[in-house]
Amino acid sequence: MTAAGGLISLLVGTVLLRLTLTGTYGRYVRLGMGPWLAIAGVAVIVVGLVTLLQALRHAHQEDAHDHHRHGGNERVGWLLLAPIAALLLVAPPTLGSYGVDRGATVDIRAGAGVLDPLVAGAEPTPMTLLEFGQRAFDRDGASFGGAAVQLTGFVAGAEEGAFRLARYQIACCAADAAPVVVRVVGGRRVPARDRWVTVTGEFRPGGGELPELAATNVVEIPAPEDPYE
Amino acid sequence: MSGGRNGYMLRRMVVKGVNGATSVGRAQSEGLPGLPGVAAVAVVVVAAAVLRPVLERLLDRPAVAHWATVFVAIAVQAMPFLVLGVTISAAVAALVPAGFLPRVLPRRPALAVPVAAAAGAALPGCECGSVPIAGRLVARGALPGAALAFLLSAPAINPVVLTATAVAFPGRPEVVVARLLASLLAATVVGLIWVRTGRDELLARARRRREEDGPRLAVLVATAQRDLLQAGGFLVVGAATAATLQTVVPRSVLDAVAGAGPLAFLAMAGLAVVLAICSEADAFVAASLTQFSLSARLAFMVVGPMVDVKLVALQAGTFGRAFALRFAPLTLAVALASSAVVGWWLL
Repeated sequence: MTAAGGLISLLVGTVLLRLTLTGTYGRYVRLGMGPWLAIAGVAVIVVGLVTLLQALRHAHQEDAHDHHRHGGNERVGWLLLAPIAALLLVAPPTLGSYGVDRGATVDIRAGAGVLDPLVAGAEPTPMTLLEFGQRAFDRDGASFGGAAVQLTGFVAGAEEGAFRLARYQIACCAADAAPVVVRVVGGRRVPARDRWVTVTGEFRPGGGELPELAATNVVEIPAPEDPYE
Repeated sequence: MSGGRNGYMLRRMVVKGVNGATSVGRAQSEGLPGLPGVAAVAVVVVAAAVLRPVLERLLDRPAVAHWATVFVAIAVQAMPFLVLGVTISAAVAALVPAGFLPRVLPRRPALAVPVAAAAGAALPGCECGSVPIAGRLVARGALPGAALAFLLSAPAINPVVLTATAVAFPGRPEVVVARLLASLLAATVVGLIWVRTGRDELLARARRRREEDGPRLAVLVATAQRDLLQAGGFLVVGAATAATLQTVVPRSVLDAVAGAGPLAFLAMAGLAVVLAICSEADAFVAASLTQFSLSARLAFMVVGPMVDVKLVALQAGTFGRAFALRFAPLTLAVALASSAVVGWWLL
């Protein structure tokens, strides 16, 4: 194998390791994969480094050495430079509202049983959009008991006097993402599309297709480290 | 003989670079070049850096950003599994003596194929890892039909995937059983069909694979490096295809046919091919598509780990394009039939 191949591997490994160390990988895969990405990155770096060093050491005697016919298929490895360039230079963002309107949404009924009632405390209860949806579906939201809740997601579009709050569920990576959507009503103003917000409020029954939250407070926040549920 | 085989864009540039720098001639021009190649990699990276503002402007468009995120996500997600598969493949190349596999594996296809399909349960991971391993098995003289049965079953019936399926379908153990049986059945049938009517000469690329020689550690590293670049390159092709289809084809198109029986069945299989979801995650997606019948969702989980755009690209890279063009339709048809039968029986 040759120096260029080694260099490409070295770059692939470096990008993987960098993704893990900066936490950027959370935009693309679920956080639990971090250690595996790091291990893979280190392994690829070692292989690339050894290949590169050997190729450079033997560069002058390749005539004698390289009699084999190569697989004829290795140049396709150059294509790895495409994701490397994308990740080193621009790092594509987390999935946004574009996919919400296009993909099938998560069916909140899957796996939802009878849920324990919330205890109304002084502080609003933070929960995932999925839990909110499941509680809304379970006995028409009886388990909320009027308690205040707090949801975090991005704005997926405005409606009259309301906006849709969304967050993706992912099982493995962003390719399998499916959005959960909640309609937020009563916020004073509608934040810009794709802006991340934390919404405090109470469940409002009778929302129809989408579960509804009557907001008392909407705060814009930076995108969280783990943008998916 | 390999003159016009690969039409890849970079070929011209690479070959020119080599010829311009050294006189090693044709044997050398078959692979990635030496020092001129390093320069070429540097040129590509620098060019990308110069174009960075253009890339950033492109990412301001939601559709492009969506495409880029899905593309990168598939590539990143697959890397650990690809590294695992490549490592095992390289370990076989370095540590298992040539001629050992044909000696110890069962010779009779009627036994070898089902055994290989069942052996797939021992490889935890998703489909990206099993392709280089199956390629290595073929290179090492295993019965091709058996290696292909392993290739198909491993991503679908290993404990990690079955556990994920059980978690995704709580209280429905029959879904896990149906997935196991339908996948085993499909893998075995495809393997046996290949033994009877398959054209093994199509596997020439996998057979021809260069075996490194030298100290074991050197063989391990050299094999891993070559497999990684090759499989990685095709993974990029597959990820780009899947991302494009996900961005261009709205999923609601498929949801529209959810109701109708056989059509819904085909739609779910089509969805599995197009989405190219990792087999460890597809059960969760299947669980969420409640508008489809359980049988249709079974087809999604049986077809996905065996045929999807990313996987076909990987198979084309490892075994050759002519092989992939025949193998993918055969597998799709058998996987559909198998899930129909098992779904009708169990679900």
